[in-house]
Amino acid sequence: MSSSMRRVIFLVDMNAFFISCEMANKPELKGQPAAVAGNPKNRSGIILAANYDARAFGVKTTMLIHEALKLCPGLILVPPTHNLYARKSREVMEILSRYTPVLQQNSIDEAWLDLTGCDLLFGEPLAIAGRIMDDIRNELDLWCSIGISDNKFLAKMASERKKPLGITELWKKDIKRILWPLNVREMYGVGKQTEKRLNEIGIMTIGDLACCDANILTNAFGKYGNELKKLANGIDTSPVTANPKGESKSIGRSTTLSKDIVDIELARSVLLRLAEEVGEEARRSDFKGKTVSIVIRYSDFRTITRQKSIPLSFLTRDIYRTGCELLDENWDSNKPVRLLGIGIANIDEDMPDQLSIFDVNEDLDDEIKREEKLERAMDQIRSRFGSDMLKRAKLVDGQKEE
Amino acid sequence: MKFICSKENLLDGINIVQKAVSSKTTFPILEGILLEADDKIKLTGNDLEIGIECYVEADVKSPGKIVLNSRMFGEIIRRLPDAEVLIEVKEKDVVVIECESSLFEIRGMSPEGFPALPSVEKVNGIKISQKIIKEMIKQTIFAVSMDENRPILTGSLFEYKSGTLTIVSIDGYRLALRTLKPESQVQDYSMVIPGKTLNEISKIIQPVDEELTIYATGNQILFDLGNCTMVSRLLEGEYLNYSGIIPKEHETMVTVNTKELLACFERASLIIVNDERRYPVNLEISDDMMVITCNTEVGNVREEIKADMDGKKLEIAFNPKYFIDALKVIENETVNIYFTTNIGPCTIKPVQGDDFAYLVLPIRK
Repeated sequence: MSSSMRRVIFLVDMNAFFISCEMANKPELKGQPAAVAGNPKNRSGIILAANYDARAFGVKTTMLIHEALKLCPGLILVPPTHNLYARKSREVMEILSRYTPVLQQNSIDEAWLDLTGCDLLFGEPLAIAGRIMDDIRNELDLWCSIGISDNKFLAKMASERKKPLGITELWKKDIKRILWPLNVREMYGVGKQTEKRLNEIGIMTIGDLACCDANILTNAFGKYGNELKKLANGIDTSPVTANPKGESKSIGRSTTLSKDIVDIELARSVLLRLAEEVGEEARRSDFKGKTVSIVIRYSDFRTITRQKSIPLSFLTRDIYRTGCELLDENWDSNKPVRLLGIGIANIDEDMPDQLSIFDVNEDLDDEIKREEKLERAMDQIRSRFGSDMLKRAKLVDGQKEE
Repeated sequence: MKFICSKENLLDGINIVQKAVSSKTTFPILEGILLEADDKIKLTGNDLEIGIECYVEADVKSPGKIVLNSRMFGEIIRRLPDAEVLIEVKEKDVVVIECESSLFEIRGMSPEGFPALPSVEKVNGIKISQKIIKEMIKQTIFAVSMDENRPILTGSLFEYKSGTLTIVSIDGYRLALRTLKPESQVQDYSMVIPGKTLNEISKIIQPVDEELTIYATGNQILFDLGNCTMVSRLLEGEYLNYSGIIPKEHETMVTVNTKELLACFERASLIIVNDERRYPVNLEISDDMMVITCNTEVGNVREEIKADMDGKKLEIAFNPKYFIDALKVIENETVNIYFTTNIGPCTIKPVQGDDFAYLVLPIRK
């Protein structure tokens, strides 16, 4: 492939994914306002995904159930079945992989495809996008939106333009007109926190960010500042990296402590905070791990890693609990610690799928399912309102670790 | 305190109560055995999960009590010659152990801090032959979960309901259930016994016809064997609604010879050398035959077994260990196996009656 060839990157984003999976399974929901909700029996649960009929009433993700019912009294509520979503997600990825092996799954319901040079095989990008959308619609009864550009960032931004069932191209020449007037919060990669800090230095729109002096951004955000500026200018050279299949995968976080610590309670709080991040990412990508590992780096830079097997899980509770067990077994109270890390890994994902009693009896009252619902609801709230919105009691002030 | 008893009887008692003595604990007294001499001697071990007391015949010269380190005391008695043993407590908790030409003087512990066995009111007792209850535990305990994330499943359910005693274990992937209609009638109850203590209890129960009595109270379960009593703590929480898990309907049913099927599974799993979770064993069920196959990095195997089928043909895959564990403990010559779908539960039941049920979840292909 010549380097001068223009890249063709797609972002395929499934529309209202969870509820659409439910609708594909239960056709009686079609044409009715319906939503997947944390726990429909409990009116204080939250909406995880609403279909377009419900959105017409103003029902939105993360809304409390009773608020949603006020807007739309006829709203049908469905409890989440994450196994179904994981399976449908695999089926979507299978369809996408017919078009290119260079496919990077970004979350359960979206993926980037690198289709550079595929026009001879499948036709122009717009035509390919149309075929992908039709395949997913016909075979799985699901809707998607597709963004097309020459890099991942713009493809992602393009996919947000028209939902549902939109195919949108967004090229560098269009960004002044289309992207720059948007609020920075609309930018992929900018969360609540970053938005706040950008606003503080007077940056409100993506255009402000694109034209901002690089030094100001570097001062405020370090290296990341420059990255942000480049993205705002439509520049993103990151490659679409295929998710490795059958190879080991892991999610981990570590932190260098601002002061060396010797107190195991403090170490536990650090692990809890890190485990929350690991768990959130694991749940977002539906990745269950079967080993938990911790890293301890002492002030003399000697570093140890220790790991332990667990039954497959992506729950913060399990990651943290196992991390604490490892900490208890390996903690040396005489040595100051300067860095702590925790992660989960799954050596191979090709393990056959042993079904459990909890998979086939969805209404079985089960503490792990309850924990999953709870943690997913926390994820939703945090992604919506910022990670400071909800804190574990252990991490509320007074237990400050750094 | 001073008594004389036979080494053999004393050692038997020690072996029994040692099953309730902690090996590692922060309280040294819990590593001990409490000896109490009255008209007999009574030995007690108690790790707070399980407590066992056992009476041993002895010629008691003077009553009293003392706590001895379980390991030390056990080793000493085990290595004494087979003869009469004299045990006497001297000043300052020093214990003399004398047998033929051996003489020990070891330090004991004051019995004050030793935790008393919880008192269980002996009402609502079910009498069952030791042999039968030992069998029932063995036939269900293998399906107890090791996963601490669902603590309630690390125990076995003992449920007495309208005349039937049911023992159930569920590890999430399978269920083992055994029922019995004892002659004694008591009030309904439902309790979950930790798998670990149940395992110790089943070791002490002997395969004999003599009866034991099971007493159940809110927080404890007591097994009374006459000269020996075992009290176990219970797990707190609600057990799964097991009857809702066992399907009432099926798509396919086969009748097979239990031993032959077990042999097929055992042979098929010979080529699984690493990890049985990785390599499912496939079942292909058609009119009068079941074909069992398995492919691993070692090679492949195919087994055919005669089976009377009723319903739809089916292809399904399982972790062979789950079938082997269940088939091993079934004594009936033939069993019925009920299948729902290839991603639904399968249940092994007796051809007649409802003495047992083993449910296994398949592997999705």
